[in-house]
Amino acid sequence: MGRDTRRSRLVIVALLIAAFTLITLDYRTGRSATGARGVVHSALGGVESGVSDVVRPIGRTVSSLTHPNRYHDRADRLAQENARLRRDLADNDVITRTGKELAALRLLADKGQYTVVPAKVIAIGDVTGTDWTVTINAGKDDGVAADKTVLNADGLVGTVASVTAHTAVVRLACDPNSRIGARLERTQLLGAVAGGQGPSTLVFTVYDASFRVQKGDRLTTFGSMDYVAGVPIGEVTKVTDVGGLSRTAEVKPYVSVGTLDVVGVVVGRPPADPGDRLLPPQPAPAQPSAPAVAPIPADGAPTAPTAATSPGPTPAAGATVDPAGAG
Amino acid sequence: MWEIFDSDESVRVRSVAAAVAVLLVAIVAQVSVVARLDLPGGRLDLVLVLLASIALLEGPLVGAISGFVAGLVGDLASTHVLGQSALVMCLIGYAVGLVMDAAERSVVVPLAVVGGASVLGTLGYAAMTSLLGEAAMTGGEALGRAVVAGLYAVIVTPFVFPLLLRGGRRLAGDRGRGGR
Repeated sequence: MGRDTRRSRLVIVALLIAAFTLITLDYRTGRSATGARGVVHSALGGVESGVSDVVRPIGRTVSSLTHPNRYHDRADRLAQENARLRRDLADNDVITRTGKELAALRLLADKGQYTVVPAKVIAIGDVTGTDWTVTINAGKDDGVAADKTVLNADGLVGTVASVTAHTAVVRLACDPNSRIGARLERTQLLGAVAGGQGPSTLVFTVYDASFRVQKGDRLTTFGSMDYVAGVPIGEVTKVTDVGGLSRTAEVKPYVSVGTLDVVGVVVGRPPADPGDRLLPPQPAPAQPSAPAVAPIPADGAPTAPTAATSPGPTPAAGATVDPAGAG
Repeated sequence: MWEIFDSDESVRVRSVAAAVAVLLVAIVAQVSVVARLDLPGGRLDLVLVLLASIALLEGPLVGAISGFVAGLVGDLASTHVLGQSALVMCLIGYAVGLVMDAAERSVVVPLAVVGGASVLGTLGYAAMTSLLGEAAMTGGEALGRAVVAGLYAVIVTPFVFPLLLRGGRRLAGDRGRGGR
């Protein structure tokens, strides 16, 4: 039983035909999280959210539980107490770290006057490992919609590809299908940042061939209907094409894909809610680009020059500019 | 097509169901747990490891069907074209099932087969994405990741395979049938 029979051949041929049909149909109709896909997305999203909630603390404390000394009562008791304390410590670590990340995100969002929905990454990639996406635990019910910009404390993460009620799939900036309008600091020259070169490289194309892109130039998002302006993207590491009608350069993104945890979805450019903490006036988070950029909030949002950039936000500013040293 | 499962094959439906259940758990674990480990060099493909082990124990029919179903769910849960991992996993399940007899001969065979299946599967995914014009990595990177996936697969197989073997025996035992 279970050998290569005529019957099993029949089955596999049928399955292959089904797979090819699906590929053909789906390739032509485009992908969105509706129908069966939406159902699977929200079902799996719920499970993934639960799994990451459980796994995250366990993974960090598993070492504290494997204590060898379990033979004597006293030692046992002490070991247990020790394990408990270590677990508490590890939990505190997690909480502190999350708190720090949230605070850094908050500072960046405040500087950009973005209204941000914070979320945690609950799944990375897909089964095949070929998708550069992450799933986050915020969805339609939290105000997340498709095509919104996603960032973390370091800069641009990607854009929302699809949403369900409580989860959303974020297409990372390094996905081959991702294309995000970008500009160099201190200029208004439009370009685009595309992925497809692996997780730590983006390709930046400037549409104006007369402009010289240089190593070390920094990029922020250009902004359009869906994307907010001024989110730091990365830094040019290599100019690859200097001829032709456009120029391309390799960009090292500020955000490292492997360590994504707390992210924020930008759901509103102007401060929609009065309670929002969007007081500092600088819409461009990268310090040096601030004066010349004067970004174009499409709605002519109040760029009230309160000049209230207190010394408080400097840690985050340091964080956003920090990769300058890494280049 | 369902007459295939009629008479003596009603047993099969249960193994397929069990296999699909295991693979669904693996799909969630893959994206929520394994991907988070951020293993050096590439990734462990838990789903492929389990699929190859199941196919090795249960044969090409169960391998192909459960691979197809699990792949389809994985596709539905992702943003890429529907059916692409269903195709790859279906083929892997079938191909691995064909060598199920060899697995009883030596301990090395499952190791080699599961490792090979991980390499081939990872390459298959990369090939599918580049055929569909959504290549996420270059050929060299894909090859490197495939080899790394194979290595990780060889490392975890000694833990996973005996578990599945025992599970399969128990499933068979419930039906009052010895062995497979």
